[in-house]
Amino acid sequence: MSKPSDLVQGTLDFLVLKILAVEPLHGFAISRRLRHVSDGVLQVSDGSLYPALHKLEQKGWISAQWKPTENNRRAKFYALTKNGRKHLSIEADQWDRLSTAIFAVMKLKEA
Amino acid sequence: MNLEGWLHIVPLRIRSLFRRGAVEDELDEELHDHLERRTEEGVASGLSVEEARRTALLELGGIEQRKEECRDMRRVRWLEEFFQDIRYGFRLLRKNPGFSAVVILALALGLGANTALFSLFNTVLLGALPVQHPEQLVVLSTVNENSDSITSFSYPMYRELRDKNAVFSGMIAQAGVEMNASYAGQSEKARGEVVTGNYFETLGVRPWRGRLFSQADDRIPGAHPVAVLSYEYWQRRFGGDPGIVGGKLILNNRPMTVIGITPPGFYGTDLSEVTDIRLPMMMVTVFRPFPPNRLQNSGHQWMEVLARRKPNVSVAQAEAGLDFIYRQVHDAEIQQLPARITAYDKRVARTSHVKLLPGSQGLRQLQEQFSHALLILFGITLIILLITCANLANLFLARNAARSREIAMRLALGATRRRLMRQWLTESLLFALLGGGLGVIVAIWTQSALLHFLPASERANLGRTTLDPAVFAFALAAAVATAIVFGIIPALQISRNSLAPQQGDPRLAQSDMSPRRFRGALVLLQIALSLPLLIGAGLFLHSLRNLKTIAPGFDENRVVLTSCNPSLNGYPQERIRTLYDQFLARARALPGVRSAALATGVVLSGGWDEINVNVEGYQPREGEDMAPYSNIVSPDYFGTMRIPMVAGRDFNEHDNLKSGSVGIINQTMARYFFGNRNPIGKKFGTDPGRPPDIEIIGVVQDAKYVSLKEKQKRHFYVPVAQQPRLFDMTLHLRTNGDARPVVSLLRKTLQKIDPNVPLYNVSTLEIQLDDSLARDRLITWLSTAFGVLATLLATMGLYGVIAFSVAQRTREIGIRMALGAQRFDVLRLVLQQVAFLVLGGLALGTFISLGGIRAVGTLLYGIEATDPFAFLGAAAVLLVAAALAAFSPARRATRVNPTVALRYE
Repeated sequence: MSKPSDLVQGTLDFLVLKILAVEPLHGFAISRRLRHVSDGVLQVSDGSLYPALHKLEQKGWISAQWKPTENNRRAKFYALTKNGRKHLSIEADQWDRLSTAIFAVMKLKEA
Repeated sequence: MNLEGWLHIVPLRIRSLFRRGAVEDELDEELHDHLERRTEEGVASGLSVEEARRTALLELGGIEQRKEECRDMRRVRWLEEFFQDIRYGFRLLRKNPGFSAVVILALALGLGANTALFSLFNTVLLGALPVQHPEQLVVLSTVNENSDSITSFSYPMYRELRDKNAVFSGMIAQAGVEMNASYAGQSEKARGEVVTGNYFETLGVRPWRGRLFSQADDRIPGAHPVAVLSYEYWQRRFGGDPGIVGGKLILNNRPMTVIGITPPGFYGTDLSEVTDIRLPMMMVTVFRPFPPNRLQNSGHQWMEVLARRKPNVSVAQAEAGLDFIYRQVHDAEIQQLPARITAYDKRVARTSHVKLLPGSQGLRQLQEQFSHALLILFGITLIILLITCANLANLFLARNAARSREIAMRLALGATRRRLMRQWLTESLLFALLGGGLGVIVAIWTQSALLHFLPASERANLGRTTLDPAVFAFALAAAVATAIVFGIIPALQISRNSLAPQQGDPRLAQSDMSPRRFRGALVLLQIALSLPLLIGAGLFLHSLRNLKTIAPGFDENRVVLTSCNPSLNGYPQERIRTLYDQFLARARALPGVRSAALATGVVLSGGWDEINVNVEGYQPREGEDMAPYSNIVSPDYFGTMRIPMVAGRDFNEHDNLKSGSVGIINQTMARYFFGNRNPIGKKFGTDPGRPPDIEIIGVVQDAKYVSLKEKQKRHFYVPVAQQPRLFDMTLHLRTNGDARPVVSLLRKTLQKIDPNVPLYNVSTLEIQLDDSLARDRLITWLSTAFGVLATLLATMGLYGVIAFSVAQRTREIGIRMALGAQRFDVLRLVLQQVAFLVLGGLALGTFISLGGIRAVGTLLYGIEATDPFAFLGAAAVLLVAAALAAFSPARRATRVNPTVALRYE
């Protein structure tokens, strides 16, 4: 139920890191950004987001901080760490290579 | 991972562990915050509050589930659960104090015995010398066609090897010296060692106090009156008085300045000796004056040589490099050998070459003496530990049976099997660690008890056994290994338990038989392992009894012994001779003394002189052993020892330097050289270069000389009065009554004659005989105690299994009886199971024993390791024990009341 069936395994981590590379955000904002950025193509269930965030935090790629938000609330803001940035660039390279390869294969003419 | 990563993660983990409440609150807040925002969003898009909230919850998929997933991400769960298991374990431990006590005690015994043996092992067999880089040390030895590893070298050879080699960074030599040490009017015997000037520097030993020898202290023969004391001697003799450094001791009647103390724990390179005082090598000309050309004579090999390899030189390279020099020097030496050395001996000498022995543990005499017996004892304690494990696995299985409802409940509630197995292992680990901790205390007791069985001399050598970190590491490792061995079987059992049947009453369960079969197998294994222990105990008991019935060839009762060595004081021979005469005369005059004699050798005290002889009318084969034992004795020695004369006469006061040389031989020597001919009047000699000159005047009965176990040895005696030089002697006194009062009287009387001649080895022949059996006794008592312990444990296990099985089958038995089974039939039902376990165990045990028991062969006397009676006896003991264990459950089975048993439903 919580597994994103429509996402390649491990892609969620990558997307979250990429989104956080722009600016620190709290969980709900990340979830909204995910939906908007991909134009609703990538359906990430909210259920899988939080365990993923906690995992990334425990791996040391993102850090968390409680900050006040609008109208007297506070939320847990996640930000990319230096290690997270490093990891993201590695992931991005891999992703580039993979997608280039897949793209090339897809362009093959059928006989 | 880099440092930054750790700096991030470690505080997180610590927070997850120790600030669990705060972390949980935050998780709760975060998820609820999400829920609220999502609901607001839904409301904004036109849904009702309830609908929006429902959608948000659906999207999230349930708050508690997500929380659980987030918790899993914290990576401390296993640790949390571990602590939980430990808490739970402690609770169980308190709840069943009886069970816990039995388990922990059994473990403490098993682990303690192992740890004690390991710590002896550690000292004797594994421990490296406390010097710098002990692994670089080698012991020099030579090997020839006829003998292996002779570790004695002459001084000239040492000098050549030391100065010409390129493979060692240092080469040292050492030799023992006997000493009379006097300080403040008190004299006593001390054991000394002469060592080369580079000894301490090469070994890398630093002074505890003062300074140690350097090359400058070892240049001119006889000209360096300085001494270094061992820490232990300094403590024992001088109470650790720092003022002794710079002071003077009288050693062998010669003032010597103490320049320093070696550090505690440094015992030199020969752990079989306790060395008190070290002197420069050049002082050997004074402290061992005979032969006088000791430092020049290449034919006189008397020093042990050790060397330190250069760091980049392998043992093989060092050996090759050294052998080249050795052969050059040795060949030159053989050229110069006197003509009387036979061609055969020269040929053997030419096959001699250098062999380097590992030196990290120094000279290995002590190790070799003890290794075999220790290995066997270690093996026995390992078997005990294994039996303990089997027994505990059995106990835990029984407890699991009692806990089956709990297990079923937890499995039903969603606990995974792995989780339960982990809990079981944690519990057994908890028990094992408690048992191991207690085991260390048991080990300390066991060790001092072990040492108690050994004679004082060996105790001094092994007394330095310490409980060092290696020993604790061993105890810990043994405890963990034990926990795994006895914990894994019950843990595995969980995964075999099926859920359904166990929810009801276990007695009613149509249980698959596997736990019972498992427990049966464990009992079978215990019985199997007990068998070799009992066989060993039987063999050793028998062997010890055989040893005790050996006729030593003398009467050990009421003989007082005391040794002295006035020659160490540098007295002229005349004075020494007079002193010995006085000692003997005074001793004979003491009240309560029946007779007295002097002798150089004391029976069953260790070494013995072997001297090459040539015998009138006897042509030896090439390479034949022509060296009987020999002893120098005064008149009436045979009377005092009660060694019967078979033919001829004893020595008397007319046999002296002015009369012709005479000797007495034992029966074995008479038979060996003269067959059935009468040896009286025949001659033998001790100088192969000259015709035999010692006339045989008597034949005495054989006796045991070095060991009770020895085969009959050839032996000759020569009179004290005909020896040109006298060294140490031991007074033998036969008393009329109790020997003890005579000892103190003797000491006082002799000390008055010359207070500078200390008496040592004051003892009785009975103690001497007793001590010679110390090791046999130790191994006998230990193997017996362990055999009994093993049998007890196995019996307990058997009882547990049979009682459990009878309880389980009460209903079945009830039905059988209701259907007409007689008591005898029920009994047969129980006994069948007992018989299967016991006979199976005995069969397996016999198999194990046949494989392992040969190892004890060399330790036995007068009985073969494969003695069938030892096998049968051990089997009989186990059968009786099994019968006792089965008795009460079997009786209970026959008394089952069918009505009651069936009504239970």
